[in-house]
Amino acid sequence: MSTDTASVELVGEETAENVARAALLAALTGAFAYVSFPNPLSPAPVSLQVLGVFLAGILLGAVWGGVSMALYLVTGAVGAPVFAGGSAGVGALLGPTGGYLWSYPVAAFAIGAIVHGGVRLRNRVPRGIPRLVGAMAVGTVVIYAFGVVGMSLVLGMTLQKAFVAGAAAFIPAEAFKMAAAIGVVRSDQITAE
Amino acid sequence: MTLSYRPGDSLAHRLDPRTKLAFQVAFAVAAFAHTTPKGLLALSGVAGVVLASSDVSAREALVEYRFVFPFLLAGPLLSAAALGPPWIRWQAGFDSLLASYRVVLVLFVSAAYLRTTPVRDSRAAIQHLVPGKAGQLLGTGVGFVFRFLPVLQADLRRIRDASSARLGDQRGLIDRMKLVSISGLSRALSRADRFALALRARCFSWNPTLPPLSFSRADVPVIVGSVGLLLWAII
Amino acid sequence: MIETRELVHRYGDEESPAAVDGVTLSIPDGEFVLLAGPNGSGKSTLVRHFNGLLEPDSGEVLVDGTPVTDDLVAARTRVGMVFQQPRDGFVAATVGADVAFGPENLGLAREEIDRRVEEALEAVNMRDRRDERIDELSGGERERVAIAGALAMDPDHLVLDEPFTGLDAPTRESVVEQLRSLKESGTGVVLVTHDLRDAFALADRIVALADGDVAVDASPEEARDRLPELGIRVPPKRETPREEP
Repeated sequence: MSTDTASVELVGEETAENVARAALLAALTGAFAYVSFPNPLSPAPVSLQVLGVFLAGILLGAVWGGVSMALYLVTGAVGAPVFAGGSAGVGALLGPTGGYLWSYPVAAFAIGAIVHGGVRLRNRVPRGIPRLVGAMAVGTVVIYAFGVVGMSLVLGMTLQKAFVAGAAAFIPAEAFKMAAAIGVVRSDQITAE
Repeated sequence: MTLSYRPGDSLAHRLDPRTKLAFQVAFAVAAFAHTTPKGLLALSGVAGVVLASSDVSAREALVEYRFVFPFLLAGPLLSAAALGPPWIRWQAGFDSLLASYRVVLVLFVSAAYLRTTPVRDSRAAIQHLVPGKAGQLLGTGVGFVFRFLPVLQADLRRIRDASSARLGDQRGLIDRMKLVSISGLSRALSRADRFALALRARCFSWNPTLPPLSFSRADVPVIVGSVGLLLWAII
Repeated sequence: MIETRELVHRYGDEESPAAVDGVTLSIPDGEFVLLAGPNGSGKSTLVRHFNGLLEPDSGEVLVDGTPVTDDLVAARTRVGMVFQQPRDGFVAATVGADVAFGPENLGLAREEIDRRVEEALEAVNMRDRRDERIDELSGGERERVAIAGALAMDPDHLVLDEPFTGLDAPTRESVVEQLRSLKESGTGVVLVTHDLRDAFALADRIVALADGDVAVDASPEEARDRLPELGIRVPPKRETPREEP
């Protein structure tokens, strides 16, 4: 046959599965950006986007969770409407809320590393509540740290004022997302190894 | 979303995507380096030319990024406010206003890219720019995310419709979030399994034929301009 | 030629029951085989060994005389595969870009890729639909695009896993038409199905599995009487080739 099969370097089975999952969770995080609920604590509605970051870290582990969120950022940067409010483009990454977006790969990596106790993915996702909550709390701190620093840099504000403008109203809702994430991970319907 | 790729024959449509990516970066660096009235005035002119040569109106670009405007306004207002005398600090407010304005300019240029660059071009640019397996992973991965985004959005819409048809929206917030995400995630994971199988059956490889890209004469002035912006930013 | 020798596959450890339990089978190029059997009889597991998507627990699989595990790329180009729910197998948003994926992975020159995409789309009567969005196609059209994606690899055999699931009668008929023209073009087809009624007339041979092993391997007319006892429905006997009502 005309095809020289020896020169084709196949992506291995495990990697192909991880790529597929990373892409699907990136797409899910983008689709979650469109799902918002009224917030009982604040006028800012709660979107599920950050839940995507939590789940990517918990289910895919540090490395592939980070890759998944990097795919999310790059896909949004080149035009998929996956950022808050269905926006896209490099502009969103350099705008006032860009810091939050940049944090996602880091946060997913940190969550994955804590949940799985290192960069290697465990066969079963640990379901202990303290570990899950701890990991997501660290992830949330990473997200808000990047977000507040980003906003202060982009808008030329002090950190305190950036916190008031960009973080204070949103933090309480993160507790709901953590609770939801725990419910998701412990659900019988989710059979991710 | 208002701004997505639309076929056309503007100057920006004819540029190589790598040129456009480089220009966006150079423009942003220049805007962050020269956040002064004079610098931003000059860059406003550049942004105007960019919009004109890519068939995007300023209005469309602003609508696309409407959700950032509360932050762009809050920045200068909060910066100007002080908790004690003299109560209003004009200089801090003005600095933050300039910073907000520079973001608007960056958003204009970004909007021009979105309108004039199809996904396959962006994918190709990533695979050509990022070397080795990382580039292959990012490029194909981006294509896959684009492919599945509408599929998963439809999944979530169906889940929410089915839930509210059975009065699911009367439940508490956490329950509702859980319901949507459990169903959404379990569908996404089974799609991922089937997708991985199809990828392997189709010889998913690390060294495929890359999508073709080539620079043309139209790219030259834009590349020169990008280098110029970078030099101006550094000096 | 696809050959399996004493092929065994288990999901899980040695204690778990074998999904495929010692299957020996050979399928010459150009043959149209119906692979039948009730749910859980091991059909899908078996065909996933044909191009190395699964690894045998024991026994071996050869494609054109070479063990599949020695040259996965060769096995996957010789044996094309179309899965159930093809929608989740598409990599790109548009028809042409998706069909090009396989040839691109083989590292072919761009002109050769274009030629193969044209040919594959021609073979499924979708030549002028190259730039259309896959999500806007009907179920039957999507099935045809998935077939074109496999044909673009230029395979000797095409394996279709339950292609009729979820399709209405007219669409099933159009897929059968498609299979008929594949058969006429000389491509071998392995059609995995639990319901033989649609494609019975096309088959050269019927292989039925039960509990992970071959229970019937015969010509359609010989197989007809033995299939119902395995719980496999066959079309009623007729003098003329059967038409959908």
